[in-house]
Amino acid sequence: MALPTIVELGVVLTALAVAGGLAVRLGQSVIPAYILAGIVVGPSAPVEVAGVPLAVISREGFVEAFADLGLVALLFFLGVHVSFERLVENYRRLLASGLLDFVVNVAIGVGLGVLFGFGPLGTLFVAGIVYISSSAVVTKSLVERGWIADAESEVILGVLVFEDVAIAVYLTVVSAVALHGGTLLDAALRAGTGLGFLGVVAVVGWVGSARIERLLRTPSDELFLLRVLGVATLVAGTARFTSVSVGVTAFVVGAVVGRTDTTDRIERTLVPVRDLFSAVFFFAIGLSTRVAALADLAGLLAVAVVATTAGKLLTGSLAGRLYDLGPRRSFRVGVGTVARGEFSLVLATLAAGLAAAGPARLVPEFGVGYVLATSVLGTLSMRHEDRLADLLGLEFETTGSEGEP
Amino acid sequence: MTVYETDIPGVGRKYELELDGDDRLVVVVHHDSKRDVYRRSAETDESTRLFGLSGEQARRLGAVLEGTYFRPVELDRVEVPLGDAIIEWYELAPEAPLADATLAEVGVWSETGAKIIAVQRGGETHPSPNPDFRTRAGDVVVAVGTRAEQESLREYVRPR
Repeated sequence: MALPTIVELGVVLTALAVAGGLAVRLGQSVIPAYILAGIVVGPSAPVEVAGVPLAVISREGFVEAFADLGLVALLFFLGVHVSFERLVENYRRLLASGLLDFVVNVAIGVGLGVLFGFGPLGTLFVAGIVYISSSAVVTKSLVERGWIADAESEVILGVLVFEDVAIAVYLTVVSAVALHGGTLLDAALRAGTGLGFLGVVAVVGWVGSARIERLLRTPSDELFLLRVLGVATLVAGTARFTSVSVGVTAFVVGAVVGRTDTTDRIERTLVPVRDLFSAVFFFAIGLSTRVAALADLAGLLAVAVVATTAGKLLTGSLAGRLYDLGPRRSFRVGVGTVARGEFSLVLATLAAGLAAAGPARLVPEFGVGYVLATSVLGTLSMRHEDRLADLLGLEFETTGSEGEP
Repeated sequence: MTVYETDIPGVGRKYELELDGDDRLVVVVHHDSKRDVYRRSAETDESTRLFGLSGEQARRLGAVLEGTYFRPVELDRVEVPLGDAIIEWYELAPEAPLADATLAEVGVWSETGAKIIAVQRGGETHPSPNPDFRTRAGDVVVAVGTRAEQESLREYVRPR
């Protein structure tokens, strides 16, 4: 049954509104709710309830286009906010905690990939999916729980910044290796040209930031919005002609634009646009998720969630120690980094594009199920962190006892 | 006093103000102009959220705290309203009855009803002077009282 586009659009937006409302009422992140909305009204079973057809939307036409815009807007924003200054200042601790986070959690991901028999490519994706915490979910929870005012937020945000940069490189390499096949040398060459392309974009932006500022200067918010979105989408779109992913390019464009003095204005004018399109992006992920596959994966997902949550708690606690935090605050760093979200989904979408055989076929579903579980788990464990800490006997260190053995 | 300023990616900016006793006031200014204000205890490093404000409310509060929201008292108009009472400043002329006398001798309060709340001498201020406080010519006497009380006090602080 094909509905007129405008009705489909209405269904999509209403489903998102209902799902988002429920998520907020339950004190959860909206990201998993949007995916679930997509699963419910999408083509996967159950397609009807009591004769009422549910599967009214398919991932085509405007949903596809909006989802692409959502991907661009999401990663563009992450780029705008990535602060290289933060990476440079205090770089030793940040590098140490970032690398620790990377090595341990990627290793767990590799272990899972091998265990599940996902094959080399699938494993590459799984490692990325379980490695990267969700900047969106985590920062939002930090603000909501009030941790943003405390010392642990610095460590958490530091790790997130490191992850953002790491995943940009990771995505470039993965898309070069995964999406075109060929020999390892071909892949390496493509990864090289991809990184080169990103380098050109970065350098152009770096050198020409004054020019970009002039280009974006207009008293009209409307024109400003269109220019930023236009440039970001166009440049990110040209990535389609290279082996670089659209998302990563949008990220780099964001980082370039973020160096100009326009960040506050971008924040003010572009946030609603990003929220709208990224909601459709998450929705579209739900649309293409096969629920049956999700059910088959339940056992594997449980293993993955337990193992990787333990991994994040471990690396977070150690990172907290690197920053001289007490045991309770270090534990909070771990708890704060449990939630996975948008980046893992970007990887899952990317994995959907590769026609893999065998269990690796299930990588996209694994990503979706994994994000659904960890984003909810992350939010919940942050909310009940006090009980968890009590359970483990962790206490805040009072400043008075500092310096004593 | 140091103010620490940090960028919070995806959220906004964080400002930390040192308070007395090493506590800190933490203000998070969100990109959407909302503000959250926390107080962090130096003892436990634990922050308590005090309140949140919209951008507009924050600007208003800021102006109030800065003292620019209400018109500041004009110092050359030596009258500060205080209910029915007002505060006035008098410079003691050498010939004034109160110059070179203790407050008890003159009986300022019993005679006029006005209360002398401070005496300024040179750069120094003597708050709540005792009855045996001896004034000198050139002192500035600060008195609180109704307009009528201030009027009768005038006789003691001005030359006759």
